[in-house]
Amino acid sequence: MARSSPSLPFICFAGFAGLALSGPVPLVAASPDDSIIRIGAVLPVTGKESKIGGAFKAATEYAVKEVNDAGGLDVGGKKMKIDLALLDDTSDGARSAQLVEQLMAQQKVHAVIGGYGSQLVQAQSVVPDRYGLPYVSGGAGATSIYGRSKWVFGVLSPVENLASTQMDFLSDLVARGKLKKPLKIALLTENTEHGKDFQKGVKDYAKAHTEFAVVLDESFELYAPDFKPLLGRVAAAKADLFMCDAHLEDFISMQRTYTQMGLYHLMLTYGARGADEAGRKGLGAATDYIFASGWWSDLLPYPQVKAFSAKWKAAAGSAPQWYHATAYEAARSLFAAIHKAGSLKPDAIRSALAGIELKDSILPGGVLKFTKTGQAVLPFVVTQNKPDGKVDIVWPKEARTGEPVAPMPKP
Amino acid sequence: MTDVLHVLIDSLLAAGLYATMAYGLAVIYGVMRIINLAHAGIMMLGAYATFTLFTRFSLDPFLSSVVVVPVFFAGGVLLYQTVVRRLPRSGSTPSMESLLLLFGVWLVLQNLAYVLWSGDTQSILTPYTLKSVSLAGVRVGVPALLVFGMSALSLLVLEFVLHQTYLGKAIRAVTQNRDAALLSGVDADRISAVAFGIGTAFAGLAGTLLSTLYAFTPDFGRTFLLKAFCIIVLGGLESVLGVAAGAFVLALLENGTAVWTTVPTSLQDALSFTLLVLTLVVLPQGLPGLLHLLRAPRRG
Amino acid sequence: MTSKRALEVAGMLAAAVALCLAPSYLERGTLNDVWNVALAVVLASAWNLLGGFAGQVSLGYSVFLGIGAYTTVLLALSGVPPAFTLPVGALLAAGASVIIGLPTFRLRGPYFTIATIGVGEAVRVVASGVSFTGGASGLRMPPASFDFESNFRAMTLLAVAVVWIALLVSRSPFGSALAAVKQDIDAAEALGVNSTRLKVSVHALSAALVGLAGGLFAINFQYVSPGSVFDFRLSLTIVLMPIVGGVGTVAGPVLGAILFGWLQLKLLSTPALLNSSLFIYGALLIAVMLFEPKGLLGLVRRLLARRLRRFYVDA
Repeated sequence: MARSSPSLPFICFAGFAGLALSGPVPLVAASPDDSIIRIGAVLPVTGKESKIGGAFKAATEYAVKEVNDAGGLDVGGKKMKIDLALLDDTSDGARSAQLVEQLMAQQKVHAVIGGYGSQLVQAQSVVPDRYGLPYVSGGAGATSIYGRSKWVFGVLSPVENLASTQMDFLSDLVARGKLKKPLKIALLTENTEHGKDFQKGVKDYAKAHTEFAVVLDESFELYAPDFKPLLGRVAAAKADLFMCDAHLEDFISMQRTYTQMGLYHLMLTYGARGADEAGRKGLGAATDYIFASGWWSDLLPYPQVKAFSAKWKAAAGSAPQWYHATAYEAARSLFAAIHKAGSLKPDAIRSALAGIELKDSILPGGVLKFTKTGQAVLPFVVTQNKPDGKVDIVWPKEARTGEPVAPMPKP
Repeated sequence: MTDVLHVLIDSLLAAGLYATMAYGLAVIYGVMRIINLAHAGIMMLGAYATFTLFTRFSLDPFLSSVVVVPVFFAGGVLLYQTVVRRLPRSGSTPSMESLLLLFGVWLVLQNLAYVLWSGDTQSILTPYTLKSVSLAGVRVGVPALLVFGMSALSLLVLEFVLHQTYLGKAIRAVTQNRDAALLSGVDADRISAVAFGIGTAFAGLAGTLLSTLYAFTPDFGRTFLLKAFCIIVLGGLESVLGVAAGAFVLALLENGTAVWTTVPTSLQDALSFTLLVLTLVVLPQGLPGLLHLLRAPRRG
Repeated sequence: MTSKRALEVAGMLAAAVALCLAPSYLERGTLNDVWNVALAVVLASAWNLLGGFAGQVSLGYSVFLGIGAYTTVLLALSGVPPAFTLPVGALLAAGASVIIGLPTFRLRGPYFTIATIGVGEAVRVVASGVSFTGGASGLRMPPASFDFESNFRAMTLLAVAVVWIALLVSRSPFGSALAAVKQDIDAAEALGVNSTRLKVSVHALSAALVGLAGGLFAINFQYVSPGSVFDFRLSLTIVLMPIVGGVGTVAGPVLGAILFGWLQLKLLSTPALLNSSLFIYGALLIAVMLFEPKGLLGLVRRLLARRLRRFYVDA
């Protein structure tokens, strides 16, 4: 063992203590400048959640740019520009919390836009309470995150509701005689908080409604590459409906194997996946007739949705997806609250957020507001893919753009 | 009975791919005693290279291996010459320096991929991607079949190279007994460069094959890296056949537990890692060690 | 010699006092940085006891952090105060280290390393599959279980204590025996050293320290999930810091932790580096390994040596 000369540990300790003594290390925002609104954001730009994290980044930056291009945000009669400090947590929970803490304690932001992914947001959501600063997330639907701290708000409606909306849709198909009960469900969910909430939503619904029975209930690891063994179990379960909750990557890999194995179910869903452009690129006609429900669809019949889609296409060059919309609305709700508060005081912004009613929201229902726990609870839409890249809203009835095709035609 | 056939066929098909990706790791470890943590990053890069060739030049993903393999071989040799060979020589134990150095390479490759291709999920869709054929009553995806064919071919070529050429023999000699090989005048530097090139080329090829089956992001490859560890531990480092056998055992375990047990598939990875640790502890030489043990009494 | 030791003890005590009083004269942001560095120092120095002194490179240390963290969360949720949860966590981590160590220490070199990767991953997969860990959703600490100042003091004092322990071990007969095992295990065994017992004991010591840090980790982050505490990347970072600093020495891991733990967070928290933080981090690793394989400590020593030489030559 190399013996260190005795003075070296001492030097290191001097360094360590020196760091402690050095006082605040200003890195970005040196002196709090109150003519500018400092907004922080921590997103999984790289790592496991990078796909949607990257989309959240683009949408958040777009929302900020929009405000700044219009001359800034009107705060108490004064136009103020927004300075966005957007950081990458590499999809790591502890790091995510550390970075939110850095933004709040060192970069002196006025508010933070939260991350994507329930586990990461769960980790972040501890921090706002420590610093008494408002926090809005556009990417976590797990109910357990909300209601613990008065500073935490979330735009994404509960995933359980996503699942129960899908079940309502299926139940309606039974009522209309399109599907015959009883219906056996093969349920596969990813082993994440999102997946567990989906699983719970489906199982609770099936318990309360006799027309459904869950005959297979399995979970899989995120990015498990080979789904053949698992789908073998699905085949053996001989279910009528196949309901799965998966990330895009897993959706593509799994649906490929599903198609190659020649599996067939009366109805098929991958939770929020299905209408994604990337999914269609990777699967082609194999996505036809899959139904999905999401927090948003560009088919929503509101003028503000049409306007947003057009704006986004012009800026980004591709059609917006649900994650662009919820990230955009999270940022917008925060800006609207700052405007309404008329000041940058945390308490004022927080109470404005709690009482906000964003009337021109692009989200389903057209109005964004937060419930007592801080989580928005908005209706879900169910879409179904049709051949040649067409998508229709098939639920709720009022928003329907086309009739649901049920059962799915056999390939 | 059909169950057995089903499991065997599925395992065999999976094993082909597993062997290709594990061999890249094995050859580098065997010759240099370096655990190549960048392996996952190189597989990811192979997938993206195939993707780019496919979208830009509409080159069939399987044909693109004609480009990917030599380019990655050259890249591997270059990586060795510029970076890896500067590491301090550590004899027969792997140096931690190399582990971390190559982890650094992995991070750099990932960052490169994020910049070039963004974090979006990509996939390759060809007219045969979703097709399947019936094999003795078992439905098998066409890409999986082609992947197996390519893997088998690559391993056969490798087997030929290792046994029939001077370089190949030198690689085997260094792997089996480093000191003896070096004493008998093998040029370690040159052999290492070639081995690193072969390892990288195999990782690139594995990436190409993976891209025809799965969707991928710049973070792709991590789970495969751990599977590859498991395989080389099982199969040992000395022969292509050993690696292939290790791959088959792992695939059999994965498919078999899904069909014959009720163990949740989410715990499957835990099984393979437990297998890894058990094998290490009980059979440090892997399956070849077991064969050795079985053979020994007969000889005596 | 004795005066040097006295100086060291004085230095340690001074550092401990300075850190203990830090909350009264430092800004919260800086304190957070110090806390993070202290955590890094504990992890790096504790790992170094086994990895550096005994030469057994384990890539499965997240297991011990995770056990410490989960023990604290689970006990806290049933009403046990942290003063009791922390030692229990340390004890359980040490127990786990014995269970892991007994079979795996039969392996040598790389095989041991690969086995620890396997153990770490198996633990992660099982932890996210069973329900008492909260599965993939993880667990939140009970509300009002966080007090920054006491957590800060505990973590920084733990850091000082771990370094002190490392210093004591490095000079003890125990440390010499570990060094013998690292040098040549067969020779050490031939001389009557029971290498397995040695390795198991130092593994348990370092696991207990990491388990303690895990408990404080849980209290600070208030949320624990298998994906964050049993992550392979965490294990890798734990190994990385001592190697960057200078493995097998007392000061090296501290230096590596201070520089790397701090740098990594700063790289990530600088918005301008958003698209290149992985690259910079990776490139730094490559550069350190290529140009200073003995770690930063090697660099410091070289610079000091040059300075001294110049001093004497010029004089």
